[in-house]
Amino acid sequence: MWVLNNPAKSVRATLGSYLLTLWIVLTLNFLLPRLLPGDPLAALLDSESSDYVFDPTVRSALESYYGLDRPMAEQYFRYLRESITGDLGQSIRLNQPVNDLILAHLPWTLLLTLTALAAATLIALVSGAEAAWKRGSPTDRILTMASVVVSNAPVYFLGMMLIIVFGAWLDWLPLAGGRTPFARYDTLLAAAIDIGRHLLLPAVSLTAAMVGAKFLLVRNNMVGILKEDFMLVARSKGLPSSRLKWAHALRNTLLPFVAHLAAHASMAITGAVFIETLFNYPGMGRLIFEAVGARDYPVIQGAFLVVALVVLTANLLADWLNTYLDPRVREPSA
Amino acid sequence: MKASRDLPLAAHRARLAPAMSDGFRPPPPWEMIFALAILALMIAAAAFAPLLAPYDPHDFVGRPLERPSAMHLLGTNDAGQDILSELIFGARISLAVALGAAVGTMALSLLVGGAAGYSGGWLDALLMRMVDVMMTLPSLPLLILVATFLREGLLQTMIIISLLYWPAKARVIRAQVQSLRQRGYVRMARSFGGSRAYIFRRHIMPQIGPLIVFGLVTAAGQAVAMEAGLAFLGLGDPTAKSWGLIMRFALNLPGLLLTDRWLWWLLPPSLCVTCLILAVTFIGTGLERHWQPRLT
Repeated sequence: MWVLNNPAKSVRATLGSYLLTLWIVLTLNFLLPRLLPGDPLAALLDSESSDYVFDPTVRSALESYYGLDRPMAEQYFRYLRESITGDLGQSIRLNQPVNDLILAHLPWTLLLTLTALAAATLIALVSGAEAAWKRGSPTDRILTMASVVVSNAPVYFLGMMLIIVFGAWLDWLPLAGGRTPFARYDTLLAAAIDIGRHLLLPAVSLTAAMVGAKFLLVRNNMVGILKEDFMLVARSKGLPSSRLKWAHALRNTLLPFVAHLAAHASMAITGAVFIETLFNYPGMGRLIFEAVGARDYPVIQGAFLVVALVVLTANLLADWLNTYLDPRVREPSA
Repeated sequence: MKASRDLPLAAHRARLAPAMSDGFRPPPPWEMIFALAILALMIAAAAFAPLLAPYDPHDFVGRPLERPSAMHLLGTNDAGQDILSELIFGARISLAVALGAAVGTMALSLLVGGAAGYSGGWLDALLMRMVDVMMTLPSLPLLILVATFLREGLLQTMIIISLLYWPAKARVIRAQVQSLRQRGYVRMARSFGGSRAYIFRRHIMPQIGPLIVFGLVTAAGQAVAMEAGLAFLGLGDPTAKSWGLIMRFALNLPGLLLTDRWLWWLLPPSLCVTCLILAVTFIGTGLERHWQPRLT
């Protein structure tokens, strides 16, 4: 919404404010483990501590990566340089570069979230427009009620119900994973079918988790738009109702919808962390979950950084799209 | 639409429901009945847990993984603890975290939103910029990052949840305080030399009261979901047996879904969490409809 509140903001200013946010993310990521009580990083290298890393090669890699014996300022600039050049350190648990782990997991999360985001957007636009058009009808009331329930029920609950019904009970779809383990695919199509079958339940859960909020946004905005004068004019011109609904009302509903896309990116990531944990889906959420269990700090920090970068990029794109779509933002004087 | 929002509540009632004037009261909608019943049930379970629960949830009272029986209505978990007792005592944790985190969230948002809205100027710009940044960041990964470094504990869970949800609510409060500040009677009170604290207490607080109550209710709902979610992700207090932790332990059992064990081990805690969240949500939407009946 704040995008719309600052109509004079130019594209360059938006980019600047995102770079500032990125810097804050980097700094947070640096400061959190060093400032919070208990000194968790030092514990990794302290032979008295329960978190002591026994593997000498991993320990020396950690020592050189965090450089805890150095002055704070030096640690900070070193950390900034390493993060910007893309060196995120070494996983304690797997003794693998964090970069490799993230590169292996990120595509799965992107596949899951983008599929769900697209599906949720499509469903919300169509059903939201229908509900607003028939405001107060049984269809509207049922859809609104269902959206309130679905968007407030925890996402892992939706996922669990789907796994139980379609995975365990009906046995139609696989229970977990991103693809069949050790499978060799003869054709590209076979690979796509296998990955698609594994994607279906997690994607449906995530779609369900996101569609409610989007539906309410579309419906409530469109209810307001249907009362505008230009709708009355369009109606009195004798335009067919399908044209009124889709070309006039929905088109104007798109603006606030796009302005909210940024918030939805963060929501999609939150949902993905739970869904991937539940479905054992090999994405970033699963990576974070496994790293949390093992207190694998470099992985958690690296994953946070990359996820933040993805969300910030999505925000920036949504801002630009909004500028492109809304002439009021593009030409503030008009 | 604008005009109808400023109508006094009584006028709304008179306009919307003429039948009310002759003493007829429509029954409350079914979702409100559901919400209040669930909430009453959960509060009763939390308050009288030692009386209601058949066993101590930490005692090993049966063989591991027993099926439901007269002895253990919902069977036992992998450590031989009674699942029904775990559920009943779990209500205490969910409600305590919901209350603590809701109060924490609203205290933070009132402090930041109130200060920004009332003082304006550079403080407002700085605080709102901070809110913008907080709202752009992916909240759950940030939460996980903080939670891993803070170590577990119920107080930590409440603090983390408060830190997550205050920015959106602070923005709403700031907008309201800012507009109230410009109202005639507030300006007059100021010109008569009313102190900042006096004006805030006497003129601003009563006006944003509904906003705070509504904020408390929504924050409580979010806190219930997040507490269970954190426990589900293995980031809760491992000694506090919350509903989320029961789910985590159930899902940790390999092949849980291949037998019908999920029916009494995984489903009941997730239903408890979902019902509590929905109850709180319905109360929230009921309050919202009561205060601004615009879109329904």
